[in-house]
Amino acid sequence: MTRKRNALLLLLAPISLILGIFFLIPLGIVVVYSFLEPGLYGGVEWTWYPYNYGRILGWPLNDYEEFDPIYLAIFATSLKYAFLTVLFSLLICYPAAFWVSRRSARWKGFVLFLITLPFFTSLLIRIYAWLLLLRPTGFINAGLEYLSLISQPLDLLFSGFAVVLGMVYIFTPFMFLPIYANVEKLDYSLIRASQDLGANPAQTFFRIILPLTAPGMIAGSIIVFIPALGNFIVPAFLGGAKVQMTGNLIERSFLQSRDWPFGSALALLIMASVVLVLMVQTIRAGRKQAGDAA
Amino acid sequence: MRGKRFRPWSALLNGYGLLFLAFLYLPLGLIVVYSFNANPINMAEWTGFTLDWYATIFRGASTEGNFDAAFTESPERIFGVIRNSFLVALCAASVATVIGTATAIALARYRFFGKRFYQALLLLPMLVPDIVLGIALLIFFVGAGIELGLMTIIIGHITFLSSYVFVVVSARLAGMDTTLEQASADLGAGPLTTFRRVTLPQIMPGVVGGFLLAFIISLDDVVITYFIAGVGSQTLPLFILAMMRRGLRPQITALAVLILLFSLTVASIGLILRNRKS
Repeated sequence: MTRKRNALLLLLAPISLILGIFFLIPLGIVVVYSFLEPGLYGGVEWTWYPYNYGRILGWPLNDYEEFDPIYLAIFATSLKYAFLTVLFSLLICYPAAFWVSRRSARWKGFVLFLITLPFFTSLLIRIYAWLLLLRPTGFINAGLEYLSLISQPLDLLFSGFAVVLGMVYIFTPFMFLPIYANVEKLDYSLIRASQDLGANPAQTFFRIILPLTAPGMIAGSIIVFIPALGNFIVPAFLGGAKVQMTGNLIERSFLQSRDWPFGSALALLIMASVVLVLMVQTIRAGRKQAGDAA
Repeated sequence: MRGKRFRPWSALLNGYGLLFLAFLYLPLGLIVVYSFNANPINMAEWTGFTLDWYATIFRGASTEGNFDAAFTESPERIFGVIRNSFLVALCAASVATVIGTATAIALARYRFFGKRFYQALLLLPMLVPDIVLGIALLIFFVGAGIELGLMTIIIGHITFLSSYVFVVVSARLAGMDTTLEQASADLGAGPLTTFRRVTLPQIMPGVVGGFLLAFIISLDDVVITYFIAGVGSQTLPLFILAMMRRGLRPQITALAVLILLFSLTVASIGLILRNRKS
């Protein structure tokens, strides 16, 4: 018995040390830093200083720092782009999941493999591809001009459109796989029953198919929303100077202006949104489980 | 009759599916095609086939021809960052594989208090946005007085890669028959012998698959590495990032294609191993 206990302790020790020291403690320090005063030369002063949040959210401040609504506006932009990314990923992946689920067993494995594969190719190279495509002298503009559809290059790059497109592209496997796992289990006899009972295609879709595949859509949406909200690489390249997301502000606070407490506060704003989303989902799932049991 | 009713939808859905695959692969395909374009200024305008851009990666830029010296990196520098990347990926993926596998076995084969806590904790590194983990590690390392360099990158990678390996190996363990392990124990084999002779061979495809996926994720990681890399410890993605910030030049495109080929090959092997039934 004790031997079994020792084996268990031995197996769990490394992960406990790694996640304890290099994950939980650092996250805790970020929380502490967000309430400290930024030092003159980039460090921190160990004094209570809630104004990092004051700068962002706009509650009473001291004389030196002013509330600037730009930080909230940028956060709102990040939320908007993250939501749009989720929306368009859903629209693109939903029918694709049905397409794959209706392939024969041999093709299914191959197509699934093809859809998963881009996740493991360099993120930067996938963004680079869209830089080449969207530039004023890029492939899309060159193609449209060749076909005489436009006389002047379209301003595709450095826009909210480019940022959302880039994020949809890099997060497609994240959205596709949970939806597919759900669609694959769909019971087609329910759909046939609905049709036999006289439901029209719209009724069958909204009252049978959509509710049955909702869990996969919700899971995919959460997995896409989280990295989209904190993203800074995609807006840095495809958004240029025109599109700022909170991730870009965090990056600059840490590596350029060296105001670590302010950057920590911004990072916690992102974390708070993530935790909120996960909590809503947990409560919702819990309630549904209770409802199913009743 | 049912088939007939679905047919127009079927054709539409098929067309859509092909469009979906095209959306995923055309941008990558274009990079490959245009890495052979001789036009040094505008990559979108095809002026002829060349292998020059690949040659610059291995031999450096020649003094003649249309090379833009400021945008062409020397082979020593390119292979230096590639060596860094491989060193980090190899160390981080190896350690993460051991840790992730041990954790997966503990959670699959033992019952203990706090199991649900561990299950939730292991998902967290995959759910916390990269940028948050990156700055948290930066503050931690600087605060602890640990100099930023390859070592800090390796530690940072182990932190989140362990979770990925855990997920892959757990899936393998969940689908495994435990009767062989019980038989081995009944026949008098100790826990270590049972693990080495019975459990490990059965979960091996999962372990190797997990290692390869961790290796590729480490090799491609940008955001976390970006915050915890020191001055002299640039990895390949950070190098590409710096090149992209200076402007788009054909040499990056050629390098991108080589990286693409490598990650596609390794990821394919990893995915095939993961999906293979024993």
